Amino acid sequence: MKVIEISNLHKTYSESELEVRAVDGITLDFEEGEFAAIVGPSGSGKTTLLNMIGGLDVPTSGEVLVGGSLMSELKDSELTDFRLNNIGFVFQAYNLIPVLTVKENTEFVMRLQGKKDEECEKRSNELLKAVGLEERINARPVKLSGGQQQRVAVARALAAKPKFVLADEPTANLDSKSTETLLEIMERLNREENITFIFSTHDARVVKKARRIITLEDGKIINDVRKNGGE
Amino acid sequence: MVVFAITLGTIAGVFVAGMMNGWVAQRIDSVIYTELGHLKIQNPDYLINEESQYSLPDIDSILAFCETTPGLENYTTRSKIVSMATTAGGSTGVVLKGIIPEQEKRVSDVYLKILPNGGDYFETKSKLPPVVISGKTAEQLRIKNFKITQQVLDSLTRQEVPNELLEKLKPLIDTRFDTEKKFKTAVQKVWHPNEIRKHGPALMRTASYLKTRSKITFSFTKQDGQIGYQTFQVCGVYKTTNTMFDQMNAFVKQEDLAYATGMDMNQFHEISIVLPENTKDANLLKNRLAQKFGHLNVMTWKELAPDAGMMADFMDVYYYMIMGIIFFALAFGIINTMLMSILERIKELGMLMAIGMKKKKVFQMIMYETVFLTLTGSLIGMALGGLLIAITGTTGLNFSSVAEGFEAVGWAAIVYPSIETSFFIGVTFLVIIIGILASIIPAKKALKLKPVEALRIE
Repeated sequence: MKVIEISNLHKTYSESELEVRAVDGITLDFEEGEFAAIVGPSGSGKTTLLNMIGGLDVPTSGEVLVGGSLMSELKDSELTDFRLNNIGFVFQAYNLIPVLTVKENTEFVMRLQGKKDEECEKRSNELLKAVGLEERINARPVKLSGGQQQRVAVARALAAKPKFVLADEPTANLDSKSTETLLEIMERLNREENITFIFSTHDARVVKKARRIITLEDGKIINDVRKNGGE
Repeated sequence: MVVFAITLGTIAGVFVAGMMNGWVAQRIDSVIYTELGHLKIQNPDYLINEESQYSLPDIDSILAFCETTPGLENYTTRSKIVSMATTAGGSTGVVLKGIIPEQEKRVSDVYLKILPNGGDYFETKSKLPPVVISGKTAEQLRIKNFKITQQVLDSLTRQEVPNELLEKLKPLIDTRFDTEKKFKTAVQKVWHPNEIRKHGPALMRTASYLKTRSKITFSFTKQDGQIGYQTFQVCGVYKTTNTMFDQMNAFVKQEDLAYATGMDMNQFHEISIVLPENTKDANLLKNRLAQKFGHLNVMTWKELAPDAGMMADFMDVYYYMIMGIIFFALAFGIINTMLMSILERIKELGMLMAIGMKKKKVFQMIMYETVFLTLTGSLIGMALGGLLIAITGTTGLNFSSVAEGFEAVGWAAIVYPSIETSFFIGVTFLVIIIGILASIIPAKKALKLKPVEALRIE
């Protein structure tokens, strides 16, 4: 089942006289439960594409249909609600809230949704166990290594049981061991919870794990490969 | 840092308010319980022309009404006459008030304000009719003298004045000085200015004595229009916190005044009433009296002492204005701090909005933070300010060095700061409001952030 449909998507930035086409006519679908990597050199439009899928950025033209909702038709507050209930974000710089503990960070999105204490508690325990941080639930982010912080970020992204997780270069700041662990965790959660994962990356280790690899260059798709009998 | 500033500002504001409040409360207390009472009944003609013939008509029915009306039981009758007091040393104008001492004590606490070594309040019997005058009048009439005796030196030793200074005073022993000026000149010859600055007040206090058995001759216009004279003997010297009141008033027994001036025994010029603790509404009783005795002038203390009345009515407004101004100034600091805090957290705010925090929530978060910041500082400030008021409220703040200025206009020189609990509640609300207002600019700034741009900032 197609959960994301992108048709003829353009994003143009105007910098003084110069026009930069960050995304230049992309048409693309994602099936439910995909574990896909968007790869390409810097400036190829990976992050911009991801931001438009996540409703953080507005396309210049073209359409993004996510889970049946046409993103361009949603108002600002509806978009925020949509992100809250459907999308989990993992950022390159982790972006945890420094004053909250690991557990509180994980529960944060659920709290925004107004979930009950017991439910938050149960889900965060479950996820922190899954990412191997059950021993550190009361630690603050600053006490954790980069890999551990990114695992918390993954737990946070999954806490609200989103349909999609969008991860922008999640392993860029991690060493190879942490990268491996993180990828294993994400892959497992992808299988167990049937959540669609889309990364932007230029990390070969991530590319190796991904089951679909979309290659961008100058805002265009130059290659789209599915492993295990895909294209 | 900003919390510290808020704390300091709050302490200052609370303390100033407490000091003013204590001051005003003392002034009002003194106006009501020493000088005027809550209500005063007078002949309207007497207000225009203070002549003894304009006494209260129909006095028996007024007194009967006071006796039987709840709330009016604490009254005193007074006859008044303007007079010139003269002694061998000087003369001054005073209003002689003819009172019935036992009745007077129910209304005015002048009897509690007799100075140490200042005699008593109509207790000692004397051949001549007794008069109670103020310390100020005593000075003007040169009844207050200065003399250094062995007892004075002993007392000064107890007050920790160094022995070498006492030695220097020895040549002055047993010399009487009839004015403060002469005494000061003599002391200046033996003591160094620094020594005078340090120990002078103690010396002046200890060496002064009142010649309480002095005779004063008062002259006044008698009932028949002739000039009359009567010599009274000082039985007591009082001092209130209001120099003006002190200078104006001397008290004699009503019967003595009647005899001297040819007035009737029941000829009174004013009735002063103090209401019981639980009946503070002077206006209500004023109206009842005015209804019953339309031909008389009934005034409340607020009308008689409009300065204190105005203070009583606008006190709270003043305090909130002080606090308001302080917090208004602090608000700029708060806004600045919050703006800095937002600038530092742009990425965090961007992330919060990206993962689904609504703008309303972001606004609320910044508002709560600002209110919390402001409230923390002000609660600490209020606690410390309250403590400071509690301490100084028992010890009193001594402004004696500038006392003359204060007392001349009726304000006490020693202030006992005090503040009502409701003030703290009011300030807490004020702080919350200021916090909310101060959060608007920073919160608006935060709302303008676009998550995708905020996240890009390194």
